[in-house]
Amino acid sequence: MQKDQRLLDLAALLLKAAEPVSWREIQEQFPEDYAGSGEAAIRKFERDKADLLELGIPVRYAAGDEDLPAGYLIDKDEFYLPDLKLPPEDLALLYVAGSAALAQGTFPYARDLAHALNKLSFAASAPGAAESAARAARQLSGDEGQPPPTVNRWLEELSRAIAHKKRVHLVYRGAERPETTERDVDPYGLFQKGGAWFLTGWCQLRQAIRTFHLARIVSLAVNSATPRSPDFAPRPDFSLAEVATRESWEFRVHAPVRCRVRLDPPVSGEVLASFGPRARMRDEAGGMVVEVEATNAEGLLRHVLSLSGGAEILTPRALRERARSVLSALAGGLS
Amino acid sequence: MTAGKRRGAAAPLPAGKARAAPPPAAPPRADPRDRLRRVLFLVPYAVRHPGCPVRDLARRCGCSEKELLEDLDFLLNVGSPPFAPDDFLDLYVEGDRVHVALHQSFSRPPRFTESEAAALAAAAQALGGEGRERAVKALRDSVPRDRRATFDELSGRIYAGAPPAPDSVLGRLQRAIAERRAVRLSYHSASRDAETDRVVHPFTLAQRFGHWYLYGHDRERGRPLAFRLDRVRGCQPLAERFDPPSEAELSRMRLFSQSSGEPVRIRIAPGATAWAVARPGIKLVRRGEDGGAVVEVGAGEEWATRFALSLGGQAEVIAPAAARRHFAERVRRTLARYEERSG
Repeated sequence: MQKDQRLLDLAALLLKAAEPVSWREIQEQFPEDYAGSGEAAIRKFERDKADLLELGIPVRYAAGDEDLPAGYLIDKDEFYLPDLKLPPEDLALLYVAGSAALAQGTFPYARDLAHALNKLSFAASAPGAAESAARAARQLSGDEGQPPPTVNRWLEELSRAIAHKKRVHLVYRGAERPETTERDVDPYGLFQKGGAWFLTGWCQLRQAIRTFHLARIVSLAVNSATPRSPDFAPRPDFSLAEVATRESWEFRVHAPVRCRVRLDPPVSGEVLASFGPRARMRDEAGGMVVEVEATNAEGLLRHVLSLSGGAEILTPRALRERARSVLSALAGGLS
Repeated sequence: MTAGKRRGAAAPLPAGKARAAPPPAAPPRADPRDRLRRVLFLVPYAVRHPGCPVRDLARRCGCSEKELLEDLDFLLNVGSPPFAPDDFLDLYVEGDRVHVALHQSFSRPPRFTESEAAALAAAAQALGGEGRERAVKALRDSVPRDRRATFDELSGRIYAGAPPAPDSVLGRLQRAIAERRAVRLSYHSASRDAETDRVVHPFTLAQRFGHWYLYGHDRERGRPLAFRLDRVRGCQPLAERFDPPSEAELSRMRLFSQSSGEPVRIRIAPGATAWAVARPGIKLVRRGEDGGAVVEVGAGEEWATRFALSLGGQAEVIAPAAARRHFAERVRRTLARYEERSG
């Protein structure tokens, strides 16, 4: 029997059974599939059980007692998706956020997300307005901006590697040099910043936490030996949010330098927020001064330049000089 | 009971589809669990929507009509002992509509798997809003009990971005969307660089190129507009209700009604090319022999100028002429600031 059919038959059998179904009975019902009395048949059944659990169908073994025989069962309460009992605005949050994420075209566990959105209509008594808002969100954000196809592939494979804690082998094209490097990485997590996806993990080559831009991954292979046992345990002190919310000038490139940036009035909240939660703001004559601690001054330079005419690096002097020379080289090429 | 009684033996599935081991980059559909997940949704959906058109059902399931019909064939062979006629699933198509005669307890989909719930939770966390903790907790509770620890771990492994606006603003917007209620926004308009007051019928929130937008009908301007969420400073729900946009309106909806004129071309130096072309919204026009590239952006000359400058001297706007002048003027003006004063 084909595996997908066997799994569904098994689920149907256990869902319908009034009491736990013994292993012997299961063997009788699936004579071709779980034939024999040996370990092999049991292991095959255990694999099917694990697959069912991955589909959201928990099969449990109950040791018998006076009232019930020993055997396998599916608790109906543990099987059927319950009503989430959320107020309409929280449903709108889930629907809209999920639909927009899916419509981006790049999201980890994208297929799971699509299934989750489908199921959501069963998990709410009246999705109504939230569901139509989600349709609109999908329509609005899904029409262009296709990411490179490989990024989706890496996202999908990394999603799985992260869930199963499997080591990956990367061929990576760094930002700084043209040649590629190869390395093994323990994938800890995926984060999105500025619309692009990044992998963070323990890099075996550098023996440190490193972050990789998915669009710069040339090729990727998940360790396929021992697919069911994890290759690593993430370091307990690791925080993905901390890495993900690091500003570009907070990447660890050099020793910390205190930098000051002048912003022309009126300063918009958006510009202020762009310096991140750790920046300090001070009103000064001629505008507002932002102070940040940079460990990658080049990142700050680029950020300030991108704010265009409205911002200016004050100190350190070397960084100010670098801004001047970048601009003067550009101006030279333009005239 | 023997396998001989099974309906499958009498009406076998189309045979001869040899299952080769999938190559590493095989399309995801190769996994048999994909079909199972689909049918575990398909059956309860068809139960709940009797007579659902084949086309609609296929669209809901994210597959083609042909695949859907194959799924229905496959389901006819699913049943449980003693495999009497009433022990099989029974879904049939009549006049292009799907009916369910026997659902064999598959009347509701299974609980969320941990990765389904974690993906949805990550999306919700990235948008934010007052209800997000409630929503994430409800998702967690809908995962089978012994998978919840895995859900917790997995949710810590995806970070899809920081919420674009204060939770209170988002919470009110989400409530207004769910209740189809008008809102008064205080909005920072980038083009006028000023705070403006708008009355909007909020249709939805949507994401584009890393930014979140509120999309809705602006009453004063009389047309739908996109508002960047990080520029919404305040949001007051009003008593006024509105009708949802129709299907036809929905299909005409665009986040931005007009691209801002002619696309702008930017030349990128070799050192910055990999980085630049990886950015969302950047279209590669051609690669140079030296490893550099020419790219196109559609978001207007101001955006193009900022983007080129953000590459730290490794990019310049080249066309059209007006955009190049805009860029050149900005470079000279900014340079002047650095030459005037000494830091």
